Amino acid sequence: MDYFLYYGCSLEGGGVHYMISTEAVAKALGINFHEIEDWNCCGASIAYIGGNEMQSIVLNARNLALAEAQGGYDIVAPCSSCYIMLNKVNRELQAHPKLMAQVNEILAEGGLKYSGQIRVRHILDLLYHDVGVEKIKAAVKKPLTGVKVAAYYGCQTTRPFGEYDSCENPHTQDDILAALGAEVVEFGHRVKCCGSGIFLTEIDKCAYLVKDIIESAAAGGAQIISTACPMCQMNLEIYQQRVNAITGANLNMPVVFVTQLMALAFGGDKDGAAALNRLVVPSGPALQAVGA
Amino acid sequence: MDYNQTFAKEVYEKVDSGDEIKVCMQCGVCGATCPLRGEMKYGPRQIWSLIRAGRRDEVLNNPDIMLCTSCYTCQVRCPRGVPIMEVMHGLAHYALAQGIVPRAETAKFGKAFWEGIYDTGRVDEAVVPIKYCLQDGLVAGLKKSLGMMDIGLALMKAKRMKPKMFIPPNIFIPGVHKIKGVKQLQRMLDKAAAIDAAKEA
Repeated sequence: MDYFLYYGCSLEGGGVHYMISTEAVAKALGINFHEIEDWNCCGASIAYIGGNEMQSIVLNARNLALAEAQGGYDIVAPCSSCYIMLNKVNRELQAHPKLMAQVNEILAEGGLKYSGQIRVRHILDLLYHDVGVEKIKAAVKKPLTGVKVAAYYGCQTTRPFGEYDSCENPHTQDDILAALGAEVVEFGHRVKCCGSGIFLTEIDKCAYLVKDIIESAAAGGAQIISTACPMCQMNLEIYQQRVNAITGANLNMPVVFVTQLMALAFGGDKDGAAALNRLVVPSGPALQAVGA
Repeated sequence: MDYNQTFAKEVYEKVDSGDEIKVCMQCGVCGATCPLRGEMKYGPRQIWSLIRAGRRDEVLNNPDIMLCTSCYTCQVRCPRGVPIMEVMHGLAHYALAQGIVPRAETAKFGKAFWEGIYDTGRVDEAVVPIKYCLQDGLVAGLKKSLGMMDIGLALMKAKRMKPKMFIPPNIFIPGVHKIKGVKQLQRMLDKAAAIDAAKEA
């Protein structure tokens, strides 16, 4: 199984534990990831502030053109924002030949051309639909028995297209976590927004979003939250003390990537393949049942 | 309410995705689903209404047009298929292009983010906060970055951020990663900017 892994800027920084665990999971499942050589940033959801619509399109078209020239594999984005930006632009270009022609005139500045052959996927799509729950179950060496986890999707993991999972009631991450042997709890805020790219600059308002999500997961019985988006992971995890100060809450909830839990269940080292040492809120009692 | 189509026409022609609001039937699902509607004076539905009423200054100066978290909930639930989030981003971008700043901090952060993309082709999460803070000037910027120190230190301790965050000015920071094709990328972005600038003029 060959794919491009579109790392995105987060996986080189605050989401490095996503990258480490994703690579470990790929190895265990026989997924062969290639890097798009010289990829650039997707622009994320706040590109509109400094850039305009055509610039956003061009940023993503360049990556699509590079992928097409370098082998044409499906692009898999672990970051939900990267996934949406690449996917949105890809769909626009595929649907509008006039826009494609205009964009190709611009790409020619870098000697590039895109013809619309690339498919953009989220990593949950790859894991659920291409790998499949049965194969994931078969790779488990250390089942996550007794781990009470909330599968948090947030926004851009499934919205707006709902291509591989439901926008309103997604299940792919729940099913993957269940395949690892974990106890997946029910909670109301699984597709609510964490504040995304404006969290930091509008923290007085967004703090309540994070408070509600974490408290909802805790009320469902979760001891740990799993996500498949670096923005969600960061907003839910690293600002908890600030959120407590602003809202009067008492949050202390570990938040990990789904791939970290997979790497752990596949027998990976907790601080190696599972990169649990990269957490700001330690996993603590949540993973004690499995010795991590 | 008097209806004056001048501003509506301006929005349809010049704002990215602006013409999409023509099909809005004012049902209000957008505001009802917005995670931050409680923090806004007007939700999307009311902003569209103000556009149709020709209230240009009230719309473009409204901080609500820049409080979108980009969660796509309204867009998914809109029964008329209006890409509400895209229109909201379009309005905020258009206001900024007119020299209006609906939300100062988010505008500064977005500017720093975009500069990172333009200068290097990728965003360095340790550099963007510095560029964001230094827009306030050196002294105020340092004070602001000190206020973010707890977060920076926590990330450094977890080995998720390299210790660049507190070394101003950013141009002297070593190791900022540039993509190989950054010059070509900049030429592409400049050409794309010219196309949209012609539309917005």
